[in-house]
Amino acid sequence: MKALVIDITKCNGCYNCQIACKDEHVANDWTPYAKPQPDTGQFWTKVTDIVRGTVPKVKVAYMHDICQHCDEAPCIPACQQNAIYKRDDGIVIIDPEKCAGSRNCIDACPYDVIYFNWDLNISQKCTMCAHLLDRGWKEPRCVEVCPTEALKFGEEEDLKEDIKRAEVLHPEYKAKPRVYYIGLPKRFVAGAVYDPEEDKCLEGATATLTDSKSGEKFSTKTDNYGDFWLEELKVGTYSLAVEKDGYLPQKIESISTEKDVNVGDIKLYQKVKAKA
Amino acid sequence: MSVVLVIKEGKMVEKEELRKQAQEEKSLVKDISWPGVGSGANTSVVDVKDGKIVRIRPLRYDWKYKPEEFNPWKIEARGKVFEPSMKSLIPPLSLAYKKRAYSPNRILYPLKRVDFDPKGDRNIENRGNSKFIRISWDEALDIIVGEIKRMKEKYGMTAIFYQSDQHGENKVVHGCHGCGRKLLELLGGYTLQCRNPDSWEGWFWGAKHVWGMQPVGQQVPQANLMTDIARNTDLLLYWGCDQETTPWGWGGQQASRLSYWFTELGIKQIYIHPDLNYAAAVHADKWIPIRPNTDAAMHLAIAYTWITEGTYDKEYVATHSYGFDKFEEYVMGKEDGIPKTPKWAEEITAVPLRIIKALAREWASKRTSVVIGNGGPGIRGPYATEPARLQVLLLAMQGLGKPGANQVKMIEWGLLGEPKQEPLPRPMVFPNLGAAYTGSRPWLAWHPFIPKTLVHDAILNPPISWYGNETQMAPRENQFVKYTYPAEGCSEIHMIWTDSPCWITCWNDGNRLIEAFKSPKIEFIMAQHPWLENDCLFADLILPVNTKFEEEDIGSDAYSGQFNLVFPEEKCIESIGESKSDYEIVCMIAERFGLLEEYTEGKSIEDLIKIGYETSGVQDMISWEELKEKGYYVIPTDPEWEKYPAGLIEFCEDPDNNRLLTPTGKIEFYATGLAEHFPDDDERPPVPHWVPYGGSHQETLQHPRAKKYPLLIVSNHPRWGIHAQHEDITWLREIPTCKVRGPDGYQYQPLWIHPVDAAKRGVGNGDVVKIYNERGAILCGAFVTERVMPGVVSIDHGAKYDPIVPGELERGGAINTIAPHKTTSRNAVGMAVSGYLVELERADLGELMKKYPEAFKRPFHPTAGPSYESFVGGK
Repeated sequence: MKALVIDITKCNGCYNCQIACKDEHVANDWTPYAKPQPDTGQFWTKVTDIVRGTVPKVKVAYMHDICQHCDEAPCIPACQQNAIYKRDDGIVIIDPEKCAGSRNCIDACPYDVIYFNWDLNISQKCTMCAHLLDRGWKEPRCVEVCPTEALKFGEEEDLKEDIKRAEVLHPEYKAKPRVYYIGLPKRFVAGAVYDPEEDKCLEGATATLTDSKSGEKFSTKTDNYGDFWLEELKVGTYSLAVEKDGYLPQKIESISTEKDVNVGDIKLYQKVKAKA
Repeated sequence: MSVVLVIKEGKMVEKEELRKQAQEEKSLVKDISWPGVGSGANTSVVDVKDGKIVRIRPLRYDWKYKPEEFNPWKIEARGKVFEPSMKSLIPPLSLAYKKRAYSPNRILYPLKRVDFDPKGDRNIENRGNSKFIRISWDEALDIIVGEIKRMKEKYGMTAIFYQSDQHGENKVVHGCHGCGRKLLELLGGYTLQCRNPDSWEGWFWGAKHVWGMQPVGQQVPQANLMTDIARNTDLLLYWGCDQETTPWGWGGQQASRLSYWFTELGIKQIYIHPDLNYAAAVHADKWIPIRPNTDAAMHLAIAYTWITEGTYDKEYVATHSYGFDKFEEYVMGKEDGIPKTPKWAEEITAVPLRIIKALAREWASKRTSVVIGNGGPGIRGPYATEPARLQVLLLAMQGLGKPGANQVKMIEWGLLGEPKQEPLPRPMVFPNLGAAYTGSRPWLAWHPFIPKTLVHDAILNPPISWYGNETQMAPRENQFVKYTYPAEGCSEIHMIWTDSPCWITCWNDGNRLIEAFKSPKIEFIMAQHPWLENDCLFADLILPVNTKFEEEDIGSDAYSGQFNLVFPEEKCIESIGESKSDYEIVCMIAERFGLLEEYTEGKSIEDLIKIGYETSGVQDMISWEELKEKGYYVIPTDPEWEKYPAGLIEFCEDPDNNRLLTPTGKIEFYATGLAEHFPDDDERPPVPHWVPYGGSHQETLQHPRAKKYPLLIVSNHPRWGIHAQHEDITWLREIPTCKVRGPDGYQYQPLWIHPVDAAKRGVGNGDVVKIYNERGAILCGAFVTERVMPGVVSIDHGAKYDPIVPGELERGGAINTIAPHKTTSRNAVGMAVSGYLVELERADLGELMKKYPEAFKRPFHPTAGPSYESFVGGK
């Protein structure tokens, strides 16, 4: 059965996938797989920019939302017309000719990846370009146009190494999705340490973050710009301790990683030298 | 025998039917890129069925060939390997391009301004406001021929101004720009709009005086520099470089793959820009925000640090350069009493002095290359010659050309088919379709000419004079040659003929050009273009041009950095409406003058395509029949590619026998040519300076104007288009960084504003704001983000022009309408279109709608933007 692996760490945000999907499914009729989607407004695969941090500690990650082609797809039982079915290869299709426009599937889908076409009065979503796969294509449009191999598609068995390092979205929905994500952004705490008296960046200072709940510690050393990044953190509350030999330590309490955090510039003052 | 494929529960589609469906589609190879002068990239496959484009997809190089046949290359470095992709790396701009063929703004038939009567009232003052009506091709040609004859009789042929622009579609036989030049020459002459070296301003007008580099002032050779970086570089400084955006139209996404690989190799990447651009967003190990157009101050402070700490390559400077002592004098403050310390630079750049020092120290201690993708707005602003020169001088101070230390380009790989311009493994042959190309060659001089940056001045305020710019690629010495307009014995211009123009929204002081278009001196303006947009709105006569999907041609892939290709291009769909190609249009005009035979040299389109193949360089590698049958040819890699010396290694190892094209043959810290010809030019002195303001520009925070206009603007090459192209593609406009939908439903051009600046002005994300200076105002959509530093706003150029009051207030976000008027500096006629002062305020839409009811009542397409319907009336 097929699977899709999305590696966020390799996505450059070009939107090729989103555009190729439009190119394939707007104004092209692939009945019985899918009818055309409207020119705008539907995003069978959708890229979203996630801007993380504040000046100058800013990164962008690109999230991808797409039908998860769940093994326990909630849309299937929700449909009163039995218009939605799962193929042997795992792909879930909404039959555009059976769909009566009741929109129960849209309500049922916890991933919000089904759209309603008001002109045709049908629900629509990603088909994994099944009409092309059945012709002999090896991958759907989105995967084919990805320049960095951030998207990979194929037999689950062949992708098992990637799947091992991946996670699924909202496992608690228990829908058993076939789309796997590598590198979903967690949270970072970043900052820069400097000596305000000499106005110089402090390299080799230790920045230690302590999870206020679990006590777990994360530590790194600042680089030649005094920069530090502590990444892959969970959402939570932390305290930060910054230390360097010869300097008075600094602490910042109650750092919430609801969003990524730039603690800004941290000043370390030199210890007063003991007189002989 | 048909095989049944059961889909589910009784619903069946025979596989045979699917196969038939696939077979009914024709797959045609097309170059969907926008250099606009013949050599291309972005090779795509267009699937066509029943006369309609079904899809556009990448080309797989191994579709018709086995990889061994084209000898795929690999770069090995630090125990890792980089290989090209087996498919072309086309950008979203190519994938979405059928939307341009089917755009609601396509010009379907010849159009004439309703109130333009060549035999009566021309109503020139209405240009830009008038609607258009349909006329026949016959009537259009009558008018054109009549006007050309009238110009010749009344003023002489030099009264005809031929624009010959660039960056329309990439076509060869149906040259998108400049087909008219040859005809006008046959008719007796014309005045040429000579494009300024707009992609390369600071390098051309500045760096050439440092290292003489031909053709455009950037480092040549680029040979094997990607391998050099991979093996030898420790630190990459991306200075005004967005390799995730700018190369899209010229070469696709190979630069993106390389950038990820460099990180894998452990090479540090630092990005120095006012904004976190799309490359910095995913590749940066560090972002150093710097105020727009203050890089020169940063460069000087780095030099100061190296000099005071003794951490530059003194021996190299002694053997490879000239004039360092005079440069040192300026840096240390002996010339003006101001030492160019990091503290001094901190004030100007907003980069903390400790970071300047740390960067200077890191650069000095590591093998460092500077990466440009052509240099961005940093070399296209006021006094851009200075930061451009200084960048080269800093590289020189650290041993430019030694392994790992070069200026590396992320775009225009293989420029002009020159092997030395290819930083990736080179092909055996660089394809050259020049013999079939009917368009304009920007490196060929023509007289009389007017530099594109001076067109408005030429029309409104003649006579004018300037130095240089005889061609877009003229050598350094040409910058000392003076030209005048009107030229000796030549007329002022009274007619403009333009093809796929891009001036108002892409050049300097677009509002001034609008004024020039409405000058009574310009008696006739004719445009050829596929879409009714931008400068076309000011024409009296517009001819419909078809897109390349509607034409037969021959194409090449020369810039993608993967494999070079040659391919015949078949017609995908029939011409939309009555549109014709630019070349066909000029043929029609030639025919009216009885010059068709001379103009075409008796060659048909088919002949030209064949000639293109026969002189392409691959004619001995593949037969015409096989090329047509396979649809494309992949030129094998040169098996000796690794042996070519990387970058400037030869100059580095033996400067005396590898002289540069400067008077001394060396890197000139003190530009001897400038000292000789412009000794008193304080805007571009022999030693590069930080020039906060002067006669030409007052656009820094150091100038009193900053009290009224306290924000600095950076204007990048667009993310979602090529210059003025792609603007009406609905799928791109849906992307939040492409357009911001205002409360009135109009899709505004995004203006990136830092939260602190937005809050100060009561601006929220999604608000419509007005951005302005003395030159005018535009409306845009606030995009409040941490991706831009405080005190700076960022807006891409190229938005489709949508006037509220032409010349004063504009709605589409065409920022170039308020860009500085004057050129780079007094003696350098480049354009300055980024790094200048503005202020912004929240727009009161209700008030604007009351004040300008007509403009706001004009219909616009809800997803495609300002529409054809707004401007066409009558039948």
